[in-house]
Amino acid sequence: MHIWLGFAILALVLWGITGVTQKLSTNRISSDRSFLWFCWAMVALSAVVLGLARPHWGLATVVVVCSIAGGALNGLGAWTSFRALESGGKASIVISLISLYPLLTVLLAVLLLGERLSGMQMTGALVAIAAAILLSLEGPPKPKA
Amino acid sequence: MLGQREMKAGRVNQNRGLRKPPAWLTWSLATIVLWGAWGLVSKIASAGVDAYVNQLLYTAGLAPLLIFVAWTVQRRGAQENRNGRAAGVFWAFLTGILGGVGNIAFFQALVKGGKASVVAPVTALFPMVTVLLALVFLKERLGRTQWVGLALAFVAIYLLSA
Repeated sequence: MHIWLGFAILALVLWGITGVTQKLSTNRISSDRSFLWFCWAMVALSAVVLGLARPHWGLATVVVVCSIAGGALNGLGAWTSFRALESGGKASIVISLISLYPLLTVLLAVLLLGERLSGMQMTGALVAIAAAILLSLEGPPKPKA
Repeated sequence: MLGQREMKAGRVNQNRGLRKPPAWLTWSLATIVLWGAWGLVSKIASAGVDAYVNQLLYTAGLAPLLIFVAWTVQRRGAQENRNGRAAGVFWAFLTGILGGVGNIAFFQALVKGGKASVVAPVTALFPMVTVLLALVFLKERLGRTQWVGLALAFVAIYLLSA
């Protein structure tokens, strides 16, 4: 197995767990307050990283700009997804729709970074997006005890 | 005359209102653009920064939004129900820690040579874990579409790792 795939699967598992913890949070507090504490946790994690890791500085400007932009784009994306759900969008439709975001990443990476995908990988990307949409659709209601 | 003009203007606005997409669709499309671009900028950054420094800079990028949301929460705080707030905050904080470590792993995948066009679709399959956890721990039932989605997710990982 490629090492990058191991890290990607680790991210998938951790983000998957957040699907449950986020639900447990927003069942009790507003999505804004939940998002605020999510951000504070990021700050706490960064403080730990700063204390434990030995970061290497002296970075190119483009790299610094892209890293900062990454935080801003991902954070804003989470915030706009909350707004979509709060402004009357059905969860099954909104979540299925926003599951299309990798399609844009694939398109931008191919067009701007010159990445090339094999036939199998291209099929895999499309199957992944279809899978993410199907997984986002609401299941049947919980059986009554 | 003025009244007629106002009525006409009102009708035009009403027509414009009909053409305006619903707010949830606009927010959803904005999310696609923001998250789609996030994958791209992360790949560019991964060429010159390690995952730990990226996490620090990533948090700096998040800071303006944190300030804005803190202000919003402060303003609406009085209207909120206080029952279960501590537990809600705990789960939100845990979500942030897990999400942040997930971000480090995502970035590390890019640093280690994963293409943005492959890593983004693989990691976007995270609902498969959520669905499985909800099945086991929250005793939620899966619909036929979700079972198909789960099966397709495994097929996708196999194809993408080729």
